[in-house]
Amino acid sequence: MSAILEIESLRKVYADGFEALKDVNLEIKTGEIVALLGPNGAGKTTLISTVCGITQASAGHVRVGGYDILRDFRQARSMIGLVPQEINLEPFEKVISTVQFSRGLFGKPRDDAKTEQILRQLSLWDKRDSQVRELSGGMKRRVLIAKALSHEPKLLFLDEPTAGVDVELRKDMWEIVAGLKAAGVTIVLTTHYIEEAEAIADRVGVIAKGEMLLIEEKARLMDRMGQKQLEVQLSAPITEIPAALETYALSLSEDGCALTYSYDTRRERTGITKLLSDVSAAGLVLRDVVTRQSSLEDIFVGLVHAGEEDAT
Amino acid sequence: MNLTAVRAIFKFEMARFFRTIAQSLISPVLSTSLYFVVFGAAIGSRIEEVEGISYGAFIVPGLIMLSVITQAISNASFGIYFPKFIGTTYELLSAPVSFLEIVAGYVGAAATKAMFIGVIILATSFVFVDIQIAHPVAMVLFLILTCLSFSLLGFIIGIWASNFEQLQLVPLLVVTPLVFLGGSFYSITMLPPIWQTISLFNPVVYLISGFRWSFFGSADVPIGLSLLAIAAFTVFCLAVIWWIFKTGWRLRQ
Ligand SMILES: Nc1ncnc2c1ncn2[C@@H]1O[C@H](COP(=O)(O)OP(=O)(O)OP(=O)(O)O)[C@@H](O)[C@H]1O
Ligand SMILES: [Mg+2]
Repeated sequence: MSAILEIESLRKVYADGFEALKDVNLEIKTGEIVALLGPNGAGKTTLISTVCGITQASAGHVRVGGYDILRDFRQARSMIGLVPQEINLEPFEKVISTVQFSRGLFGKPRDDAKTEQILRQLSLWDKRDSQVRELSGGMKRRVLIAKALSHEPKLLFLDEPTAGVDVELRKDMWEIVAGLKAAGVTIVLTTHYIEEAEAIADRVGVIAKGEMLLIEEKARLMDRMGQKQLEVQLSAPITEIPAALETYALSLSEDGCALTYSYDTRRERTGITKLLSDVSAAGLVLRDVVTRQSSLEDIFVGLVHAGEEDAT
Repeated sequence: MNLTAVRAIFKFEMARFFRTIAQSLISPVLSTSLYFVVFGAAIGSRIEEVEGISYGAFIVPGLIMLSVITQAISNASFGIYFPKFIGTTYELLSAPVSFLEIVAGYVGAAATKAMFIGVIILATSFVFVDIQIAHPVAMVLFLILTCLSFSLLGFIIGIWASNFEQLQLVPLLVVTPLVFLGGSFYSITMLPPIWQTISLFNPVVYLISGFRWSFFGSADVPIGLSLLAIAAFTVFCLAVIWWIFKTGWRLRQ
C-alpha cells in the first residue's frame, strides 16, 4: 500500500536551542492506525505540529500524500485533520458555527448534511446551538474532533485524544477511530495508555528524547509479549547443550548453569513437559525452574531506559 | 486563491462584531457627539471660520478619521491577538491558506467594521452641522484606504503584542498623538512655521488633509501627495505582514 505520510530525517531545534526532534524517520501507510507512545516531553506533539505546519522544521522533509508540506502546502494540508492536545476553542462561538468555520477554512463549501452527520456521530448534535464555554471538558474535546473531521481529512492526527477522558468516552473514542478507519482515514494518535495502543493501533511507535526508538506492527509486538521464557537452572554447570535437546533451540547461560527455552503461551502444546523429562533423561539435575513473560509495558520501559542511558 | 477560506474568516469575525453591535456603535457615536458639543458648539462658537468653513464643519473629516483609525487598529489587533491568546491560531497555521488569505479575512473584516463606524459618525455629524461633500468618490476612496491600511497596522500590532498591555500601548502612545497632531482639529497652516515642517513627518497629516479636501476642496498638502502617502503606508504594512508569515515571527515556533 502507498505511504500517506513520509518523514525523512526530521529535526527540530526550538529557538532556545533545545533539540526536540533528532533525525526522525517515519513512514505511514494509507489506512493504518499508528499509536505513538512516549513519556512527557518526548517530542510527540512537536512531531505532529511540524507535520501540520504549526512549527517549522529545522531540517528534513515531510510529504503528505506525496506532496511536500512546504512547497505544495495547500494540497498537503487539505488532507490533514488535527486534534490538538490542548483544548483551544473560541469560548463564545456556537458549536455548529465553529465546525462550519473549520470546513470553510479548509476551502470546502458549506455542507449542512455533512456537518450534521459529524455532529451526530460525536453526540454533539443536541448541543449544536450551545456556546463552547457551556460544554464539559469531554464535549469540548469532541468539538475539536468535529472541527478536524469537518473537512473530511484523509490523515487524522489525534494528540492524546483520551487524556482526562472518562472510561465511557474513551470507549466511544475508540469506536469513532474504528469507524474512521473503516471509512479509509489514516490515523496517527499519541497516548500514554499502553492498553489504548493495544486496543486500536495497527502499528505502535515509541518516541523518547526526540528519537523514534521503535516502530513495529502491533501483532509482532504482541508476539513478543506472547513469548514466555522458561529458565531451567542446573545444579552443576555444563559446557555444551546435550545433543538430545537440540530440537528445543535452547540457549545456555555464560556460567553454564542455566538453559533458557522460549515458547508461545498461545500454542496448544508448549512442549514444557517433554522438555523437562528430556532434560532429566539427558542426565542433568534440575535445581530450579523460572518462567518470565515480557509485556508491551516492559518493552516500552526497557526502550525508554535504554534511550535515556544512550543520551547521557 | 482559497476564497472560501477568506469568506469563512470574514464571516466569523463579523459575527463577533454583530454579537456586540450595541457596544461597538454606542461608544464612537457618543464620543463624537461629545466632540461636537465641546469643540463645535462651545469652543467653536468663539473660533472664526477656518479657510472659509465653519469650525464645526471643519472638524468633521478629522473626527471621522480619528474614530476610523482608532477603530481599525483596535478591531484588527484584537481580531488576531485573541486567537493567539486562546491558542486557536493552530487552526489557521495548519489550514491550506496563504498569508494573503488570512490577512484578507481578518483585515477585511476589521476594515469593514471601521468603515461601518465611519459612516455612522458621518451620519451623526449631519445632525450637528451643515456640511457638503465636494468630492464624494474621493471621500469614499480615502475612507476605504484609511480603514484598510490602519487595519493592516492593527494586524501587525496584534501579532507583535504578547500581552494585553502591549495591545493598548501602540494605539495609546503612538497613534492617538499622531492623529491629534495630524490636524484633526486645526489646519496645519495655523501652526508656527517650525511646527508646520515637523508636521510634514507625520503620516496622518496627509490622510486628514486629503480626506478634508474631498469634503471642502481645500487641503494642507497636495492631494496627489496624500494618495501617495497612504498607498506607501499600505504597501509598507503589507510587506511587514508578508515577512511575518514567511518567518513565522511570533506565530510559529
Ligand atoms: N515552544 C517551545 N520552545 C522550547 N521548547 C519547547 C517548545 N515546545 C516544546 N518544547 C520542548 O520540546 C520537548 C518536546 O515537547 P512535546 O510537547 O513535543 O512533548 P510531548 O511528547 O508531546 O509530551 P507530552 O506527552 O507531555 O505531551 C519538551 O522538552 C518541551 O519542553
Ligand atoms: Mg504532547
